[in-house]
Amino acid sequence: MTRARRRPPLLVVAVAAVTVAFFALPLIGLFKRASWATLVDDLTTTESLTALRLSLVCSLSATALSVLFGLPLAWVLARLRFPGRPLVRALVLLPLVLPPVVGGVALLAAFSRRGIVGEHLYDWFGIQLTFTTAGAVLAETFVALPFFVITVEAALRSMNTRYEDVAATLGASRWTVFRRVTLPMIGPSVVAGAVLAWARALGEFGATITFAGNIIGKTQTLPLAVYLALESNPDVAVAMSLVLLAVSLVVIVSLRDRWLERS
Amino acid sequence: MTTAASLRLDLGTLHLDIDLTVEAGEVVALLGPNGAGKTTVLRALAGLQPIDAGRLTIDDQVVDDPAAGRFVPAEQRPVGVVFQDYLLFPHLTVLENVAFGPRSRGIPRAEARSQAQRWLDRVGIADLAGQRPGKISGGQAQRTALARALATEPRLLLLDEPLAALDAGTRASVRRDLRRHLIEYDGATVLVTHDALDALALADRIVILEAGSVTQTGTLAEVTTRPRSSYVADLIGMNLLRGRSTGTVIDLDDHPGQLITAEGFDGPVLALIHPNAVSLHRIEPEGSARNRWHERITGFDLLGDRVRVRLDGEVPLVAEVTPAAVAEMALAEGDTLWATVKATEVTAYPS
Amino acid sequence: MRRKLTVTLALVVTLAFVAAGCGSSKRTDTGANGSATTTAAPVSGTITVSAAASLTSAFGTIKNDFIKANPGANITINFGSSGTLETQIESGAPADVAAFADQATMKKLADKSLLAGSSQIFATNSLVIVTKPGNPKNIKTLADLTTAGTIALCAETAPCGKYANQILTTATVSIPASSVTRGQDVKTTLAAVTDGDADAAIVYVTDAQAAGSKVATVEIPTAQNAVAKYPIAVIKATKDAALAQAFMDYVLGPEAQSVLKAAGFQAP
Repeated sequence: MTRARRRPPLLVVAVAAVTVAFFALPLIGLFKRASWATLVDDLTTTESLTALRLSLVCSLSATALSVLFGLPLAWVLARLRFPGRPLVRALVLLPLVLPPVVGGVALLAAFSRRGIVGEHLYDWFGIQLTFTTAGAVLAETFVALPFFVITVEAALRSMNTRYEDVAATLGASRWTVFRRVTLPMIGPSVVAGAVLAWARALGEFGATITFAGNIIGKTQTLPLAVYLALESNPDVAVAMSLVLLAVSLVVIVSLRDRWLERS
Repeated sequence: MTTAASLRLDLGTLHLDIDLTVEAGEVVALLGPNGAGKTTVLRALAGLQPIDAGRLTIDDQVVDDPAAGRFVPAEQRPVGVVFQDYLLFPHLTVLENVAFGPRSRGIPRAEARSQAQRWLDRVGIADLAGQRPGKISGGQAQRTALARALATEPRLLLLDEPLAALDAGTRASVRRDLRRHLIEYDGATVLVTHDALDALALADRIVILEAGSVTQTGTLAEVTTRPRSSYVADLIGMNLLRGRSTGTVIDLDDHPGQLITAEGFDGPVLALIHPNAVSLHRIEPEGSARNRWHERITGFDLLGDRVRVRLDGEVPLVAEVTPAAVAEMALAEGDTLWATVKATEVTAYPS
Repeated sequence: MRRKLTVTLALVVTLAFVAAGCGSSKRTDTGANGSATTTAAPVSGTITVSAAASLTSAFGTIKNDFIKANPGANITINFGSSGTLETQIESGAPADVAAFADQATMKKLADKSLLAGSSQIFATNSLVIVTKPGNPKNIKTLADLTTAGTIALCAETAPCGKYANQILTTATVSIPASSVTRGQDVKTTLAAVTDGDADAAIVYVTDAQAAGSKVATVEIPTAQNAVAKYPIAVIKATKDAALAQAFMDYVLGPEAQSVLKAAGFQAP
């Protein structure tokens, strides 16, 4: 005899449905607003293509930097005990709650030609980061890296460290343990963290425009182009928004299982 | 070539203070209740846990000496470990697991893999080479873990409850194979177990560890014929009592009863009585048994074809009788009756 | 420890929201009539004015003066790029009065029949090159901008951006696109020089004046310069036509005109 299935709680489902509508409506509106006939033309204008290319280059570079610098940081936060560790973690996670423009202003204070570090970079090496593609990458890394760290740190913490003990007894040096045991075991989380960081970098606007400015071909990434196109050429703006939307959807769908699964 | 551990270690509520020596080719079983510190000793020998005081040497090389400031980390010790839950790397195949040690020591991949294959042949799981650890049985995993540890050609092999994770059926055959491998292995072996049968089958010498200290060491025969702690006595299912002997009369510590033995001597003693030797009577018996106590039944344990009757009164005892006897005598918890033991059945030895 | 951190972060975020909320709370004055002025009877009510970014400090003063004369009036000014403001009004944003930096933008509203009446020019402005204090790159002419480094210009949808383009075309100067950073309005463009690393910018004379010693100025020859005409109009959808018109009249009146003049604007 099979048990009758219980009816799902109606109120809860209703609230959930309203919330889904809240998110779906803007997207549906965007689709409606799009000028489908001219979509391909809009997306293949020089400005659109330049912005798209720049967005890809900068976001991928920012992701690479986030992984390169984020892995050691995540390891230190997860495995080492030292005084002030909670403070360091809070510092690294700050860009998660900081308004991006504030982040941009902070980056100026540090890295502009009059900034505490930027001043010396310019005076001694002639290096200027503002208004450069490198500066855009820096701004995107600033906001994206915390996403990577938070994901990987959680994975390192929840991983069974006894496997690392096993590897040590088998004669593996610490680097070999990391390379052949730890990293493969947290692999899915590293990928998830990298994808999250990439998505964040791709959509970054406030810090980029404040620190790296808005220069076509150098720092005008897709979000900046959309912002400017909004008044002069709304069809192009919507077309570019759809590109960003499509990318975000792919990211979310591909991450769906990872995010819910513990590694 | 000797492995010697003289170590003192405080870990939470555990105060470990032991001296242990193992020769190459010898298998020593570390036996004791949970929380005694057995796994901690293994971890200290493996290099996963530094000691507080003392000295550890493996093959006459000092690996841990706090006073001299010397500590050799795990990856540099010639130690192989089989962990209780095997901990096979889930992302590597069986072959890659076994090849991990040789590769970590710098042997090129192809050579390491063929070495690993040879080890798999030796432990009898050659055809599992390409399998993932999640897909093999418990017994196969145990063999893989053993091969993995031995593939590094360690001088000291540490086994932490190597058969605990197996079901009863597999355990016997795996135990036999393990025995064969341990005989072939030429280094020193320390085996942690709580199963006396493992100790019996695999070890040359037993060390009983209780609450961080060694309470007894010797061959299994020595330890079980003359147990020195109730842990061992319980392990082998015997009654162990402490008292003071004057001639053939033993006054028990903590209990009103007295024991009469066949051979007498003087001084503090331990007395051993096999549960089989305890007879139960409803009415006060006559007869030749010199030991006669008034007891109350506190409980029963059914052990297949035997029943262990727990008694308290003049002397705390466990008697072993047949289920038929229990039924005939209509024994029930709370009943009072008489227990007798022949003087010749009481084995006493100095404590 | 993780839990403590989460709670602390949550508190900080909440406090930030509360602070932001407090910052933008409006005072609702419903006072009685104040003393009569010499010009007109005081008006009361609430209106929103959408004004070009270049009017920020001047209109700030004008608003306070207006409220002193009309204590029952409640005025919120929305500053931004004229282009952005126009788009907002087209999309139905509640604005009662619009004051833009060029006529073309106001014409868009007129063409869509969104104005109550016709617009009127209340000020003119011209443009100037600003550089870091002391003019370290030694910029003397518009042509020097092509090699001076990063140049900040307004976005082309903002009037000052259109004017800048016009000026550069007239002077046949072409700054390489890789050296031009476009700000969304004239204030952001100016900030790129005063606070950022931009080497020079083309902004309004009034902005250069407001920046004071933070910038050095380089004149643009009148022949090449543009004349920015600032129109003001009442929006048809206004909820308070009387107050809106009163404010517009005030801006065209003598008190406001002298404020504008002091800020560097020229007569309409």
